Amino acid sequence: MTRLSNHVRSSVGGKVVMALSGLGLVFYVVIHMLGNLQIFEGAPTLNGYAAFLRDMPILLWIVRAGLLSLVVLHIVLAIRLTVRNRRARPVAYAARKYRQASFASRTMAVSGLLLALFILFHLLHLTAGVIDPLAIDRLDVEGHRDVYGKIVRAFQNPFIVVLYVVGQVGLGLHLNHAVTSSLQTLGLEYAAFNHLFKAAGPTVALLVVLGNIVIVLAVFLGIVHG
Amino acid sequence: MRFTLNIWRQQGPNEQGRFVTYEARDVSPGMSFLEMLDSVNQGLIASGEEPVAFEQDCREGICGSCSLVINGIPHGPDRGITTCQLYMRRFSDRAVITIEPWRARAFPIIKDLVVDRRALDRIMQAGGYVSVNTGGAVDGNVLLIGKDRAETAMDAASCIGCGACVAACKNASAMLFVAAKVSHLALLPQGKPERTRRVSVMLEAMDQEGFGSCGNQSECEAVCPKNISVRFIAMLNREYLRAGVVESGLPAEPESPHAEST
Amino acid sequence: MISLDPKIPPGPLETKWDRRRFSEKLVSPNNKRKITVIVVGAGLAGASAASTLGQLGYHVECFCFHDSPRRAHSIAAQGGINAAKNYQDDGDSVGRLFYDTIKGGDFRSREANVYRLAQVSTQIIDQCVALGIPFAREYGGQLANRSFGGVQVSRTFYCRGQTGQQLLLGAYSALCWQNERGQVTMHPRTELLDLVVVDGQARGIVARDLVTGRVSVHTAHAVVLATGGYSNVYYLSTNASGSNVTATYRAWKQGAAFANPCFTQIHPTAIPPGDAHQAKLTLMSESLRNDGRLWVPTMPMDHRCPGDIPAAERDYFLERRYPRFGNLAPRDIASRAVKAVCDEGRGVGPGGHGVYLDFGDVIDRQGFEVVRERYGNLFDMYQRITGEDAYHAPMRIYPAPHYTMGGLWVDYNLMSTIPGLFVIGEANFADHGANRLGASSLMQGLADGYFILPYTIGHYLATANLPVVGEDHQESRAAIQRVTTRVSRLLNVRGSRSAASFHRNVGELLWNHCGMSRNEEGLKAALTKIPVLREAFWREVMVPGSGETFNQELEYAGRVADYLEFAELLCHDALHRAESCGAHFREEHQTDDGEPQRNDVRFAHVAAWEYREGLSPLVHKEPLTFEFVQPTTRNYQ
Repeated sequence: MTRLSNHVRSSVGGKVVMALSGLGLVFYVVIHMLGNLQIFEGAPTLNGYAAFLRDMPILLWIVRAGLLSLVVLHIVLAIRLTVRNRRARPVAYAARKYRQASFASRTMAVSGLLLALFILFHLLHLTAGVIDPLAIDRLDVEGHRDVYGKIVRAFQNPFIVVLYVVGQVGLGLHLNHAVTSSLQTLGLEYAAFNHLFKAAGPTVALLVVLGNIVIVLAVFLGIVHG
Repeated sequence: MRFTLNIWRQQGPNEQGRFVTYEARDVSPGMSFLEMLDSVNQGLIASGEEPVAFEQDCREGICGSCSLVINGIPHGPDRGITTCQLYMRRFSDRAVITIEPWRARAFPIIKDLVVDRRALDRIMQAGGYVSVNTGGAVDGNVLLIGKDRAETAMDAASCIGCGACVAACKNASAMLFVAAKVSHLALLPQGKPERTRRVSVMLEAMDQEGFGSCGNQSECEAVCPKNISVRFIAMLNREYLRAGVVESGLPAEPESPHAEST
Repeated sequence: MISLDPKIPPGPLETKWDRRRFSEKLVSPNNKRKITVIVVGAGLAGASAASTLGQLGYHVECFCFHDSPRRAHSIAAQGGINAAKNYQDDGDSVGRLFYDTIKGGDFRSREANVYRLAQVSTQIIDQCVALGIPFAREYGGQLANRSFGGVQVSRTFYCRGQTGQQLLLGAYSALCWQNERGQVTMHPRTELLDLVVVDGQARGIVARDLVTGRVSVHTAHAVVLATGGYSNVYYLSTNASGSNVTATYRAWKQGAAFANPCFTQIHPTAIPPGDAHQAKLTLMSESLRNDGRLWVPTMPMDHRCPGDIPAAERDYFLERRYPRFGNLAPRDIASRAVKAVCDEGRGVGPGGHGVYLDFGDVIDRQGFEVVRERYGNLFDMYQRITGEDAYHAPMRIYPAPHYTMGGLWVDYNLMSTIPGLFVIGEANFADHGANRLGASSLMQGLADGYFILPYTIGHYLATANLPVVGEDHQESRAAIQRVTTRVSRLLNVRGSRSAASFHRNVGELLWNHCGMSRNEEGLKAALTKIPVLREAFWREVMVPGSGETFNQELEYAGRVADYLEFAELLCHDALHRAESCGAHFREEHQTDDGEPQRNDVRFAHVAAWEYREGLSPLVHKEPLTFEFVQPTTRNYQ
């Protein structure tokens, strides 16, 4: 086992754990988006889905704990690798030109930080309900928590909408590089599929961002309403 | 043609460095970049000043000595070549050209534009070889190696060890260098017996030398004079994952795998 | 007084090497640990020797002036490596490789050495495959071969156009293994500046650390020089700019005989020189001559574009003069033919220094794509350097100094005239005679390093009486003194001219008087001009900076100072050899149609030169006897 832990502690090992934790979080983000898209089915469906999740408290908390540990792991490793990488080039170039590194890949630390702040805000806003007094759960006609109503009320506020859109841009930027990069870190390379691996990041990023922004904008523009 | 050169001058590893501006006059478009620097140096020598130190040797793009960051790009504006293969016709007349050394903690500056790249040798010494004695090898045709596989191995093996990948990497990582060697040997049957150990010790050596980690930005590939693909980094990662799994199942390591049996 | 005993084992050619290996004394494993061998140079020969000696159990100190052994100039060899494997079943054999090499060398090499080289050639390929060198393969997985200049069988193994690189990296990886095992200690960025000879035995070297400037003595039980050739004495050559004669020249001054220095190979296919600032000539692989056709206009001073010259007004001069080999004639022959047509005023390009190498026919016959696949990288390289597109107009090529067959004299055991000083690879003289065939230098370097030296040095170490010699030995101190005196002398001239300007002068002088063709008058003129230039150097050279730091100009000036002395030796040898053989063409000795005339009666010998302080060098002769082949006129017509 000492060898395995050596492997994990190495720079590539760190990257692999980051990739795996990141992909786990991506998986959650996609499920989260798909679940929320049920808003277009109307209040009963979405609230029913929420109630369905709430009915399994043990599973819910396991997932929450898992997510939290993935996030912590991801951030701790990110900091460790970044510190190491900064140290690897103590004197910067006076002139510096990138040839093919994407904007997304060069801003992973920034987009990651933005994303972390956004997630914190999102949790405080819609999960804990401490930011906006309107964004707290009430009960709907069936006695379920009215998640639908909460979302509709929350996204009436243009400032909140702007914050969410900005947060989604951060998410998109991060995923754009992250997914493809993770596949590379996990050693997925095969001539016939390499273009698929390359396309995976931008595709996932686009779908997630579009799916999430559509909800926010649909509410704000009154397409989805109470 | 004439150019204004901003060149990094640094007396020694622990001295403070700075940019000094020189004028390169009477440059002909058919001169190579290094010949242009030669002519600047001839002027400096004539006036008793110390010429700009830079590395070069074969001047045909294979020895991997030359190592200049030109206007922010290792080996300059053209792809797939080394600095020595860059010609002045590539620049417009009266251009301002900034010339810096490779910058990385693992590559301390020796003087001016010359850096110490022995870290790459130490990575190779850790395990970048097939441990086979001289003599007694079986006939070369006993090992049949498909053309495609041999060609892919050759793609990786064409690395010249210049270190441009490190210079270009935001994290000063040597992953492409290590990947080229590990993939070259992992692709061939000769390299199979030691593949597990090789990838582990080479990456460990890379970390110890103070190189950064891979950010998968592919800048390395974009400046590699031999166009070595980042797919070999994926291959390296795969080898490393495999090694992690395989090694965790091995019995405790003997003192040294290469200790002489007495 | 130098004695030239080649120590060739008697008896049949085929078993000489086997018998020598059996009769050699061995060093016991316990004693090997106590023995230190210095290897200077870490190219193909040096790295393969150092790694093999390390593997055998010796302690090896390996020196190179590069930052890493992987940068030695062996890396630039493009074409391939010969071996008598006969994988193509086209009639090749050890005997044929032996004969081709002897004949290619114009019967100026030792039969026994060349036969041994052909014998071990097959082992080299096996060894290199075992090291993981990615040789080109056929679809079925077998090793691929191609044919190469001057022979009629396909026996050349290759890795694209980077064979030298791959072979060197293979030897370097073997060296890395021995570094890791602690058997070989590397000293990169360290340059040999003198040899320590104690009681007539080579016991160490004086080296300068190129980073700190520290000059120190390293002692050992034997010294191996693998320091390459001296083509750079011509200033413009295809060699890397660092390649130099200093190590072998310093050894010569300490008593090692220098053999056949005038055998310098001029490679026919280099990109012609451009402007005055040019620092090197770039070689285009000889493989281009497999498909390209060399021609010049029939009329002198024909300045039309090549495309406007009709076929009837083109002279395909190699095909005309050598119909059997055509464009694949050996290097010396092709180079001289190029020079001949240029001298007639029919050369093309700037200064008339060039001939066309035309791919038009093969493009018409086999298509654009086939040519791109075969030579794409070379065409790209040509375009990058000249700015011209060789797919649409023919390339221009011109000969360039490329390889030196001459070198320190060694016996069959690769030992020089100084006991304990072994010389391998291009640095020695033995195997290529007066001309080297393509793809044979890699073969020789690896043969010496992997398979020959490690055996023969053992015999010396087992039989020689080698008392302890330390850094404070009187000879060590004297050697250090010689070096430091010279370094400070270079630094203290403080003149106004750069070392490069003198290098260019001596190079031009040699190229004009001792280049592709030589004559008595020109050589005598060179011999009077060189000392004048040398005196000017020591009066006017400017070496900025100090000796205690990284100082590239100081390194270079030291090498140029040696060229300025060595050039004289080169001319003495060229003057002595009043015959035309191989790469050495004396204008006085040619047939009516311009073919070289060898003189076996007077010159079937190795000319080995002895250094004499304050006097001109003294020639000793090792007669070459041919028991197994009959020297014939080398006819490629």
